[in-house]
Amino acid sequence: MRLEPQQRERIDRSRPVSFTFAGWKVTGFEGDTLGSAAFAAGKRVFSRSFKYHRPRGLLCCSGHCPNCLMTVDGVPNVRVCTEPIREGAVVRGQNVRWSLDLDFMSVTDKIGGPFTPVGFYYRTFIRPRRLWPLYEKFLRGAAGLGKLDEHAGHSRRYDVEHRRARVLVVGGGQAGRAAALAAATTGPGVVLVDEDARHGSLRLEGVEVLAPARALGIWEGGLVPVDAGTLLYRFRAERIIVATGATEQPLVFPGNDLVGVMLPDGARRLVRDYSVKPGNRAVVLASDDAGLEIADDLREAGIAVPRVLDLREVRPRELAAQGRKGRVRRLVVDDESIDCDLLVASAGSQPAYSLLAQAGARVEFDPELGVFVPTDLPRGVEAVGSVTGEGLGEVAPEPDYRGGGKCFVCVCEDVTTKDLKRAIAEGFDSIELAKRYTTTTMGPCQGKLCHLPSIRLYAQENRMYESAIGTTTARPPWAPVELGLLAGRELTPTRLTSIHWRHVEAGATIQWAGPWKRPYAYGDKPDDEVRAVHESLGIIDVSTLGKLVVEGPDAVALLERLYPNRFGDMKPGRIRYGVLTSDGGRIMDDGTIARLAGDIFYVTTTSTGADAVTAWFEWWNAAWGYEAEIVSVTGAIAAVNLAGPRSRDALQRLTEADVSAEGFKYLDAQEIEVAGIPTLALRIGFVGELGYELHFPSAAGEFLWDRLVAEGARPFGLEPQRVLRLEKGHVIDGQDTDSESNLYSSGMSWLPKLDKDDFVGKYALEHFARREETERLVGFTMEDDYLPAEGAQVVIEGRPAGRVTSARRSEAVGAVIGLAWVAADRAESGTRVEIRIDRLLRGARVMHGAFFDAAGERMRG
Amino acid sequence: MRLSFLSPSRCEQGTIASPLRRALDTVSDTEGRKEQASGAELVIQHLVRDLSLRGIVEIRGDLDLVPPSAGEGLVRLSPRRGYAFTDDDPADVAERLRARGVLAYDATGALAGIAIASEQVMRRLTDLDLERLPTAGPFAHVTAIVRRDEAGWFEVYVQQELGHYVAEAIVDALAGLDMPPGLTPEAGA
Amino acid sequence: MSFLLSCPYCGPRPVDEYAYFGEVTKRPAVSPTLRELTDYVYFRDNVAGVQREWWQHRTGCGEWFLAERDTRTNEVLEATLPEPQRPGPGSGLAGSDPR
Repeated sequence: MRLEPQQRERIDRSRPVSFTFAGWKVTGFEGDTLGSAAFAAGKRVFSRSFKYHRPRGLLCCSGHCPNCLMTVDGVPNVRVCTEPIREGAVVRGQNVRWSLDLDFMSVTDKIGGPFTPVGFYYRTFIRPRRLWPLYEKFLRGAAGLGKLDEHAGHSRRYDVEHRRARVLVVGGGQAGRAAALAAATTGPGVVLVDEDARHGSLRLEGVEVLAPARALGIWEGGLVPVDAGTLLYRFRAERIIVATGATEQPLVFPGNDLVGVMLPDGARRLVRDYSVKPGNRAVVLASDDAGLEIADDLREAGIAVPRVLDLREVRPRELAAQGRKGRVRRLVVDDESIDCDLLVASAGSQPAYSLLAQAGARVEFDPELGVFVPTDLPRGVEAVGSVTGEGLGEVAPEPDYRGGGKCFVCVCEDVTTKDLKRAIAEGFDSIELAKRYTTTTMGPCQGKLCHLPSIRLYAQENRMYESAIGTTTARPPWAPVELGLLAGRELTPTRLTSIHWRHVEAGATIQWAGPWKRPYAYGDKPDDEVRAVHESLGIIDVSTLGKLVVEGPDAVALLERLYPNRFGDMKPGRIRYGVLTSDGGRIMDDGTIARLAGDIFYVTTTSTGADAVTAWFEWWNAAWGYEAEIVSVTGAIAAVNLAGPRSRDALQRLTEADVSAEGFKYLDAQEIEVAGIPTLALRIGFVGELGYELHFPSAAGEFLWDRLVAEGARPFGLEPQRVLRLEKGHVIDGQDTDSESNLYSSGMSWLPKLDKDDFVGKYALEHFARREETERLVGFTMEDDYLPAEGAQVVIEGRPAGRVTSARRSEAVGAVIGLAWVAADRAESGTRVEIRIDRLLRGARVMHGAFFDAAGERMRG
Repeated sequence: MRLSFLSPSRCEQGTIASPLRRALDTVSDTEGRKEQASGAELVIQHLVRDLSLRGIVEIRGDLDLVPPSAGEGLVRLSPRRGYAFTDDDPADVAERLRARGVLAYDATGALAGIAIASEQVMRRLTDLDLERLPTAGPFAHVTAIVRRDEAGWFEVYVQQELGHYVAEAIVDALAGLDMPPGLTPEAGA
Repeated sequence: MSFLLSCPYCGPRPVDEYAYFGEVTKRPAVSPTLRELTDYVYFRDNVAGVQREWWQHRTGCGEWFLAERDTRTNEVLEATLPEPQRPGPGSGLAGSDPR
C-alpha cells in the first residue's frame, strides 16, 4: 500500500530490506522504519495495551506514544515507529498471550470494566495477606510491557563519552536550527542534538549535529546526558538552548484508542516520509489550525476525506469512534454516523517543556492558548520556538464527550476518564495524588501525551481553572532510556600491590579486601602457613597498609594533637603504636608511627583506612595551619612482613646492616639496604613472632619478594594472619571495634595521655575515663571445639549479653579462641559465658591478654 | 640517604619493573585470566605507551622557589603542591629541590604513567577539559595527573596500585572505538 | 547533584570531584561540659541558606578550602583558603567527622 513516490520521501525503493514482524516476513525499503514498513505491508496492530490488552496501532509515529513498543532482536520496549529498518531483524509483540491479533488476555477488556476500576488492585488483593505472592505473580504477568532478557546484560556494549559545548541546542526544528546558526557566528563549540534520525543528514555551518540523539534531562551545572543509542554523551554546556517544540495532544473521546485513530503528525509522516497510505477513508477532528492542515495533505495523497470537523466551530455533545475487532469503522457525531478507517484527531499542541521544568523553570497555564508554557528560565538555559508557546494558536475547549466505550486519558497506563473522575470523587483532589493513585502520566510517554488531557479533565471535574491545578513535577529522563546506557562500562577501581602477580602465580586464593585484591591463603591449608610462621619463617605482602610521610617543623605538634598518646619524646629510629580517635572519642584507625629524623615521621595506617586517615590528617593540618606536609606514599612503597623465629637470620643474610638482637631492637626503625634495595625496616610484630616489616620501592616488589622467598620464607595470606594476630589478642579496627568503641571499652586505657595539651578526642576521653563502660572487648576460649560465627550472641544467665567479633581455631593454643564484646560486669577474666552456635549454647571462658606467648618473649626476643 | 627507600633509582640494576609490565603485555584480569580483546595487542602497541618508570618528584612548599630548570616539566597543582617530571635521577633532583627550600619526594614509584594517542579514548574516561592541561582530575573514576606532550599524546599518571586497572580501562575503551586493525591514531604512533 | 564548584586552584569542576567535610564549626574551650561536647560533636545548624563549609578537591589538586554555599540553590558565593589559626583552647576550625 505504498503511494506514488512523494516529493520528499525518505525511502530508497531500489533497496528492499526484509525482516520478521510478529512471525510474518515483511519487506520494506532502506529509509523505512520497522514500523512504517510493517504498516506498508498491511500490519495494523502493533501492541496490546498495558491493562486491558486492547489492540493498539500507530498513533504518533514520532517515538512518543507507547502504541508501537515491541521487542526487537530480544531488546524489549523498542519504538518501531522510529527504529530504522534493518535486514533480518526479528520483531515481536509484547504483553501478549498468543498473538497481537488474538490476545487471550483481552478478556480483561470485556469483563474488566466493572472489575478493574482504579485502585482495584490495592483494595482487592490485600487479603488474605499470605496469598499476596500468588496475586502478585498473576498481576505482574497480566499487565505490563516487554520482558527483559535476564541474560542479555552483556550482549551490547554501551559507552559514555564526555563532551563540552559552549552552546548546546536541543531540537533541530526551525527554531533550533536558527538558534544554532546564530550561536555559531559568535564562535566554535556549538552542538545541536535531535532525537529524530531524519536530522542526521542536517548540515549547518559551524554546528556539530548529533542525530538521532536524545537529551534526557538538564542537571545542575549544565549537565545534559544525551542518548545516542549505545553511546551516552555526557555534555557540559555553558549555554543550553531548548527547542523541543510542541507535542500534538490526543483528543479525549470514547473509542479514542482504536486502531486507526492517529495524530495528524503521525499520519503526515507516513504519507510524506514513507509514502504509505495511512487509510482509505479519513475523518479529521481538529482543535486548531495545525490540526486542519492534515486534511489537505491526505487529499493530496489521494485519500478520501469525507468529513472535517473543526471543534472550534462545531460543539457536538456526543462524539465517539466505533469499530470492530479494535479497529475504527465509523465516527458517531451526535446523531450522525460517518464511515471511516482512519480518524485523524488532535486536541492541539502542548509545548514540550519537560527539559526546561527539570532545569528549574516554572510552568504556567496560558489561558489564551489553553496550554502550559514555561517561564522563569534558570540561568544558562534558554528556550526558542514553539516550546515557549510561540506560534501556537487558540485551541478548542475540550468538553467531556459522551458516547459508548472507553475514553482514554492516558494510553500508556490504560487510564480512562472514568478512572480519573472516580479518583477525584474518592478525594484525590491534587493532581500529584491522582497521578500516583491512577498512574496517569507515569507510563512510557512520561506525560507527553496525557499530562495536559489529565489536567484539563481535572479542571473540568473540579470546576477549577487549569492554572489553579498546576502541573506534576517533571523529572528526568525525558524519555525511556536503557539501563545499560546509564551504567556504561564497568569501571571498578581495583588496587593491586606490586607483588600481586607473584601471589597469583603461587596459586593464592585472591579476595577483595577493601579497595584491594589480596591473597586469602596460598592453598587450602591456612594452618600450615600459620605453623610456618610459628616454627620457621613466613612472609606476607602488606603493601596495602596506608603509608604517610609527615614532615616539617610542626610535624611533632601535629601528631601530638592527632593522637591521644605522646610522640615528642620519641627518639629518631624508634616506633610507637598509635590509635586515632575522633573528637567524639571513638576509635578511627590505628597504626605505627616511626620517627625517621627530628622532623620526619613515617606513619602507617590500616589498609582500608588509608584514604580516610590521609584526609583526616590533611584536614586538621589545614584547619590549624601547621607547617607540616603529609605525603601519601602508600603506592610508592611495597611492604612485606617477614616473620618467624628464623627471620633475623634470613634478613641478616641479605643485608650488611646489623640486625642482631642488640643492634636492631623491638620497635626500632632503620633505613638499610636489603639485597641491594633501599629499605626502611621496622621491627614490629603484628603476628606475634620475631618479625620485620620491610618497606621499599614498589618497583622492586617482585625482586625482593623473590629473594626473601628464596631465603626460605613461606608466603602466608590474610586468613593465617588473622589466626596469628588473634592468638596475640591483637585487635583489628573495624572488625573488632565499631563506631561506638572507645579506647577504654576496648581495653586500651593505657594509651591516652590525658595530661597532654589539647588533642582530638581529649574532651570525650576525659568523659569516658570518668564513667563506667557498659561493655568491654575481651578474649574468650571455647570450652569445646565449637567455632562461633562472627556476630554470634554471647549469653549470660539466659540473657543476651554481647557479641563475638572474631573467632578462629588455633593449633598453637589448642582451642577455639576469639574476641567478643560482653557486659562490663561480666568481663572479669575467668568468667564463664555462653555463646550461641547453631541455636545451641556452648560454654566459653573470658580471658584477657594474649592467648599465645602472653609475655611476648617470642616477639621481643 | 634520607628517604632513599622511596627511590627506585637507588635500587640495584635489574631489580625494578614497571607496574604496567603485565597489563600492557597482554590484557588479563586481576586473577590472571587472559581476556584477549580482539586486536587488543595491536591497539596496545600503537596507541598506548608505558611511562611508569619515568622520573617524577612530588614537591610541597612554595613552588615559586623551584627554578624552571628543575625538570623538563613542572605541573603546578596549587601554589604549594606540584610534580616535576625529569629525565635526571629523581632522587638527585629531590635533593637539589630540597636545597632550594621546598620539600621534595621521589614519586617515581608512586605513579604509573600511560601515554595515549586517542583523544576520543580520553573523552570516554574523563570529563576533564582537554584544552586545559596539565591538571589533576578524575580519570576512569580515580585521580590522575593529565598532561599532553609535544607530539600530542596524552599522558595520564595514576597511583601505581591502580595502574593495572586504568590500563585495562584504556585498552577496553580503545576496543570500543571499533577501529579496524591498523587504523591510524589521531596523533603520533 | 551535578553542580560545579570552583576550586581556588583548578577552577570550576563537578561537585563529585570534591570531598565534603561539613559545615564549619568551632571546637569548644577547655574541658567542656558533656552538653557542650555533644553539641559540638553531634549537632549541626543545617541552615536553609548560606553556610561556610569545608571542602577538599580530592579528585584533583588535593587542597582544602572553605566555601560559602547557599544550601537551597547550591550556588557557591565564595571559595577561600582557611586562615591559618594556631591551635589553642576554643580556637581552630572544625567540621564534621568524615565517618
